[in-house]
Amino acid sequence: MTRAGTWQHGLRIAAILGLLGAAAFPLYWMFVTSMTPSSELFAPSARLFPKPSEIGVYRDAFHGTSVTTWVINSAIVAVGTTLLSIALAIFPAYALSRFRFRGMGLVGFGLFITQMLPEAMLVVPLYAIFGDLALLNTLTGLILANSAFTVPVITWILKGAIDGVPIDIEEAARIDGCSRFDIVIGVVLPLVAPTLAAAAVIAFFHGWNEYIFAQTLISDQGLRTASVGLAGFVGELSTPVHTVMAIGLMYTLPAVIFYLFVQRYVVAGMTAGSVKG
Amino acid sequence: MTPDQAATRDIALAKQPARTARLEGSRWTPYLFVAPVLYLLVFQGYPLLQELVLSFTSTSLLSPAEHTFVGGQNYADLVGTTDFHHVLLITAIYTVACVVLSIGLGLVAALLLNAPFAGRGVARAMVTIPWAAPPVAVALIFTWMLNAQYGIFNRALRALGFAAGAENWLDNPSLALPAILITTIWQIFPFASVVILAALQGVSQEQREAAVIDGADRLSVFRAVVWPTIQPSVMLLALFITIWSLRRFDLIWLMTQGGPIGATNTLVIELYRRAFVYRDLGQAAAVGMVGLSIAILVTMVYFRLTLRAERTKGQR
Repeated sequence: MTRAGTWQHGLRIAAILGLLGAAAFPLYWMFVTSMTPSSELFAPSARLFPKPSEIGVYRDAFHGTSVTTWVINSAIVAVGTTLLSIALAIFPAYALSRFRFRGMGLVGFGLFITQMLPEAMLVVPLYAIFGDLALLNTLTGLILANSAFTVPVITWILKGAIDGVPIDIEEAARIDGCSRFDIVIGVVLPLVAPTLAAAAVIAFFHGWNEYIFAQTLISDQGLRTASVGLAGFVGELSTPVHTVMAIGLMYTLPAVIFYLFVQRYVVAGMTAGSVKG
Repeated sequence: MTPDQAATRDIALAKQPARTARLEGSRWTPYLFVAPVLYLLVFQGYPLLQELVLSFTSTSLLSPAEHTFVGGQNYADLVGTTDFHHVLLITAIYTVACVVLSIGLGLVAALLLNAPFAGRGVARAMVTIPWAAPPVAVALIFTWMLNAQYGIFNRALRALGFAAGAENWLDNPSLALPAILITTIWQIFPFASVVILAALQGVSQEQREAAVIDGADRLSVFRAVVWPTIQPSVMLLALFITIWSLRRFDLIWLMTQGGPIGATNTLVIELYRRAFVYRDLGQAAAVGMVGLSIAILVTMVYFRLTLRAERTKGQR
């Protein structure tokens, strides 16, 4: 290797390390802050590494706060959103992939339009609708509202995966006398299982992360989700900062770890969907 | 998908009618299968229609069932106020900056992560971390990192001897928008890099080598070989990031609520303020409709451009 080559190589490694550092730093900082005693948080110089003896903050975070309730509520909303949106998306995704029918373009267009609607805009009429349907202050209401935003994306991703399933396999099952419904559930779904898992993750974390509906459509303290609970701490200094960061990290880590496991499929699904348009 | 695109695809698929015909069940089967999307009519279509109607009324949050029809008054009020012009300006700056910076950084990251090196798989996974972090948690940690006295940003700036190390970013009208942008870019650039990285896999290695043998430098190889391949994906990315930036609420609301003095007041924040702070649902709906029109307009321009690009490619 030439001298210029080595130099360039070094620069490239430095750039990659810088990039990774920038990507990971805020979460690292959340961790360090959670493991720093209050007295040191406001000291003139910052502690750059966690103090191991502070690990107790992760136990204390559950005392005197409603963290347990928040996490349970968020989990209910996330699981509900996942199940409902997958159930609603499978058959339309199959239809968009396999059938040609009048109005198909309209369905596709409708799904795309939903990407442009801000939650902040729909929350006003939804508030009124939910009032009429007695869905205000219910986790069911949140699941219904969230699913409306996940169904289009999931339909699109699943359609992309179903496009890749050879049609001959279906025809074989059909000759064996399977109904179309059986084929979708028994033949097609197992073949797109990785994408289905990715879709489930997307829906789960939409439900887990969602803030504005949970903030606006729920007023009952006992039904608060973790996003709303945590949002109450932003920029507020009366709760100890390290406790807040511990809660924040416990709320963030499941999302990040889960995502790292399935990201290969999420990426494949999203890029397939976007490249094929 | 737009009707244009659907049409293109219909044409592409029309070439294989025998294949699909064999699978055709009853005439109504497709509609039965697609029926679950009616759900979206209830939870998106109907509320959208209600918003449209609301935008032509004067309605208070305190009595949302009582409407006074006011025609285009809400829209006229928006057009006439300089405050709203400022909202549009902030939205434009925020959106354009999000698109340019996240795609720029995403492109650099993708190019770095495309070349082989030990631990590439781990590095690729690590870069996506910000994209997986919940926005509320991102707002929480960045607000703390941007804290005037105890935040790590200012501590670092002070350590380096900068006077800016005393500023409270989120309370300073000229620093709040940059601070929000740094946070947003951190969160979304991984998505851009992942999409561009996927697109880079389509770059022909032979063409690239041929160009190098012809004596092309790095920049010309990029322009002649790499860019044409990834350009459609980058365009689509730009569209998605534009739409998402026009919609983004949680990060901005939690960090600044649109302030200080409107410095981070985008359309969606303005909408929420009008509805839930000023309790004026009619005005809020009008703001929402303006935002939606902008999103639709951008999308139409995008599909015009890509369609034209495809046509000129076809003529070559």
